[in-house]
Amino acid sequence: MSNSLFDKTTNSLGAAINFRLLRNNVVSSNIANAETPGYKAKKVDFEDALSRAIDINGLNRLKTDNPKQFISGAGEKGEVEPDVYDNPDVNVSNDGNTVDMEKEMSKLAENTILYKAALRLINKKLAALKYVTAEGGR
Amino acid sequence: MDFSKAMAVSSSGLTAQRMRMNTISSNIANINTTRTPEGGPYRRKDVVFEAIPQAKSFGEILTTQPDRNIDRVQVTDVNVDRGAPLVRYEPDHPDANAEGYVAYPNINLMEEMANMIQASRSYEANVSAMQATKDMAMSALQIGQ
Repeated sequence: MSNSLFDKTTNSLGAAINFRLLRNNVVSSNIANAETPGYKAKKVDFEDALSRAIDINGLNRLKTDNPKQFISGAGEKGEVEPDVYDNPDVNVSNDGNTVDMEKEMSKLAENTILYKAALRLINKKLAALKYVTAEGGR
Repeated sequence: MDFSKAMAVSSSGLTAQRMRMNTISSNIANINTTRTPEGGPYRRKDVVFEAIPQAKSFGEILTTQPDRNIDRVQVTDVNVDRGAPLVRYEPDHPDANAEGYVAYPNINLMEEMANMIQASRSYEANVSAMQATKDMAMSALQIGQ
């Protein structure tokens, strides 16, 4: 029942806002440590893993005899782990610090906007649900 | 994973940059100071930043794996410049030595001004990060309304 009420989209939006919060925390940490000697800038990757897990078109689903054999592409958001690592695409400054302030600030702005976009989509979903539950019986 | 972590990290950045600003102000104010309680001219001070894994409490440190990906910044040391002071020949100065030379702090005003600008820009960047976090938290509160 709950599967049809709160479908794949709501779940993956929920996962997305969690990952965006993680990215916000990591970017904040990079900005706070922009002057710390030897600090290595961190990066969060989750978009590819999430889009593979959601697999809206079903392209990733493996053909098997038993549908329970492989959960790949079956919309298992619980399986998605964000990848946090030292950003390799950086310029090292004299003191060994690899934080690029401009990049971090633009990442911060972009992340906030996409976070809000995900929230807005969740709200639209909930509004539609509310509409159905309130007006459907009339 | 919560908002308070990002807030704490950003505020640690604010504190660190403010402390840096304090030492820079002290350096600029004392650029001509020839007398200190320790004796001799004023020595230039510089903060040392260190990245420390963000953890709320002692209990959290004991019970959970520290999150190596989110570090706050902390001023762990204030480095005092032990280099030779600038010496000028001023025989009438009360702090002049027997040969008539006065030891002045070895402080470069231009360097301090550049550091000051860098510190205030970093402070602003941390304020922006905190603003963005607050923005996200406030919009998360609007879910379902």
